[in-house]
Amino acid sequence: MFRVDLHPTHVCDCGKFRLRMGQPLPFGATIVPGGVNFSVYSHAAISCKLALFNKHEKKPFCVIPFKDEFRIGNVFTMIVFDLDFENLEYGFHMDGPFDEKEGHRFDKTKILMDPYSKSIGGRDVWGETPDWDDLYQHRSRIVFDDFDWENDHPLETPVEDLIFYEMHVRGFSKHSSSGIKHPGTFAGIKEKIDYLKELGVNCVELMPIHEFDEFENSRVSPATGKMLMNYWGYSNVGFFAPKAGLAATGKFGMQVDECKTLIRELHKNGIEVILDVVFNHTAEGNEKGPYISYRGIDNKTYYLLTPEGYYFNFSGCGNTLNCNNPIVRSMILDCLRYWASDYHVDGFRFDLATILGRDQNGAPMSSPPLLETLAFDPILGKCKLIAEAWDAGGLYQVGSFPSWGRWAEWNGKYRDDLRKFLKGEPGMVGAMSQRLQGSPDLYRWEDRGACASVNFITAHDGFTLYDMVSYNQKHNEANGENNGDGSNDNYSWNCGVEGETDDPEINRLRLKQMKNAAAMLLVSQGTPMILAGDEMANTQWGNNNAYCQDNEISWIDWSHLEKNKEIFNFFCKMIAYRKAHPVLRSRTHFLNKDYKGSGFADITWHGVEAWNADWSPQSRTLAFMLCGMHAKGGTCDDNSVYVAMNMHWDAHSFKIPKLPDYMSWFLFVNTDAKSPNDICAPGKEKKIKNQSEFLLGPRSVVILTGKDNK
Amino acid sequence: MEIKTSTKSGSTIIEIIGSLDGNTVNEAQEKIMPMITSNNVSMVLDMKGCGYVSSAGLRLLLMAAKQLSVQNGVLVLSGLSDEIKDVMEMTGFNNFFKTFESVASALETLRKGA
Repeated sequence: MFRVDLHPTHVCDCGKFRLRMGQPLPFGATIVPGGVNFSVYSHAAISCKLALFNKHEKKPFCVIPFKDEFRIGNVFTMIVFDLDFENLEYGFHMDGPFDEKEGHRFDKTKILMDPYSKSIGGRDVWGETPDWDDLYQHRSRIVFDDFDWENDHPLETPVEDLIFYEMHVRGFSKHSSSGIKHPGTFAGIKEKIDYLKELGVNCVELMPIHEFDEFENSRVSPATGKMLMNYWGYSNVGFFAPKAGLAATGKFGMQVDECKTLIRELHKNGIEVILDVVFNHTAEGNEKGPYISYRGIDNKTYYLLTPEGYYFNFSGCGNTLNCNNPIVRSMILDCLRYWASDYHVDGFRFDLATILGRDQNGAPMSSPPLLETLAFDPILGKCKLIAEAWDAGGLYQVGSFPSWGRWAEWNGKYRDDLRKFLKGEPGMVGAMSQRLQGSPDLYRWEDRGACASVNFITAHDGFTLYDMVSYNQKHNEANGENNGDGSNDNYSWNCGVEGETDDPEINRLRLKQMKNAAAMLLVSQGTPMILAGDEMANTQWGNNNAYCQDNEISWIDWSHLEKNKEIFNFFCKMIAYRKAHPVLRSRTHFLNKDYKGSGFADITWHGVEAWNADWSPQSRTLAFMLCGMHAKGGTCDDNSVYVAMNMHWDAHSFKIPKLPDYMSWFLFVNTDAKSPNDICAPGKEKKIKNQSEFLLGPRSVVILTGKDNK
Repeated sequence: MEIKTSTKSGSTIIEIIGSLDGNTVNEAQEKIMPMITSNNVSMVLDMKGCGYVSSAGLRLLLMAAKQLSVQNGVLVLSGLSDEIKDVMEMTGFNNFFKTFESVASALETLRKGA
């Protein structure tokens, strides 16, 4: 139908482009019939100009002021007709007061990126040195928002059935050993989908993929003399654009299609996609940082400022996004809705999420409006929402993050307790009993269920699994901060020698410890998360903070896969076992009683003696049994599972709870046994001869399946 | 960009010479889409003279192929450079197309009714 409101009404001063007043919503640049609708908000700007560039050109080919009649409220909006928008980059000049004490930092000479940019140029190819003389470094672009999704839909896998796999898009396949055509990119992950399926994970959690500046690091590596990079990318330039440098087609400006294709293909293979999103700060840093966008568009709206007009630094990165300002809150909501609806992502993990619950003075709120809005948003209604429930300002909310029954948390206590138990620290048995059942001590009080707990032993932040059993101390010298960066609380144990060793006994123990960790993680209630590469014993040579290492330190070395087949095989089978047994995947916490009349409570605790766990401070042994008839709250029938953990340096014999006569115990895992007897294919377990007792070797885990005699 | 059309073995052959991008896509659309007016049309887009296809160009190809498909027709591509083939695969545009090394092999397959 012909619309009467799409006629140009004005012509720009140079006479080249026809204009008319635009639509204030949606913000950003939107393709409309015959033109592009531009819309940008600023509360305190007095005027705004639109600068139009051909791609990669330093000088704009046209600068068009928003006429007074093109402003509605605090929004500047205009349609520009006849643009070749595929070859276009645009930005804004904002004029307004410069008054630091009042929080205003307008500078009309700066060219500012649109906060709603769906695509951002300037860093099109990862690591390609930018033209530093260019006044406009991060350049807004316009994208086609159509994509052939082929009936794709977010998978909506129940969260208790997920196995997260945390990866860095570049680090996952950049190493020369990855053997693929497009290493280090979205397309590269697509090439590795068969690998992910073989491993069995069904949800990838991608470290930041929003546009960031890999050059945002001025340090030089003392190890190589080369410039370090912002490799991880926890520092957003823009929130709506996928990082061009993570796409093989970024040089053609096609990162949006490449990223969507990856998500579509992962979905086809039953794998969900969670994005790690960073709403706590931006790449503009503090007072000394660059003007990219927000600071020059409306500093006082976008950032938390001290009464003197300086930047609060709860993020540890120079500034703090003003998340509970209504405008910023709307931007975050728009952003997440965009990724959920336009990119079909299945959920989000929020970096330093407690910042999202701070008020405009930085104080923690009891019911933060942003977190509540996200919890109840209709478009995000089926998305997984996961909080990293702490921030650099000292707010630690593991177990108390405001949730409205929707938010899950990275469970840092799970990580710490499991590591301590694994290395044989005393006094951990009580805590372990909580961690293994989905941390009811943290999450039951609000009835949040076991899956409020995302269980992990390792993540990008900290040691890899191999390093956790190979290093007592961090070794971050290559980061150029005199080994002062990164956590000192690693709860790791090198098994006798710091770092690499030829000692076969130590290497055998390390392998066993990795298997112990994998076994405990994958039989824990809650949702497990595996750090990419741990399944092949990838190392960072003791670097526990590889945020700046765009090199072999942080890239996964795929040659480990061949060398460390044994641990890979162990991970694959453990994951398959978890998937085969719903008794391991309860959505709710256990009731600690027999409500099915099976003769066993849903969970029972044991130790060296059956029915009598040793809870004393010196105990390093623990066992538990999950009754199959109580699987998933008694809604489905499963085998029973018995898990015995001996983290003592001596062997111990464990008495096993007796099953009814028609059932027996079958051996699935014994980490003390040499491969291939350490683990079997799920369903192929062998009946154990002695049904009443099992000798566990030093520092080892045994898993038995209780099922009908055959 | 230049577009040449011909007919061979009952198929329309459209040769695209030059870049198919934001500058040329409207012209290409105006020439190609009117050819999809009747049912059962088979079309070969000969891309051997085309060095670059932008996002807008790929969208035109997909739109034409889908339009033909609902009219029981078929559009195939021939002579794609390795780079364009690669870009199409990475950006998900390849799923909908059959591609051939040459117009002759495309016509041969179309003749067999594939």
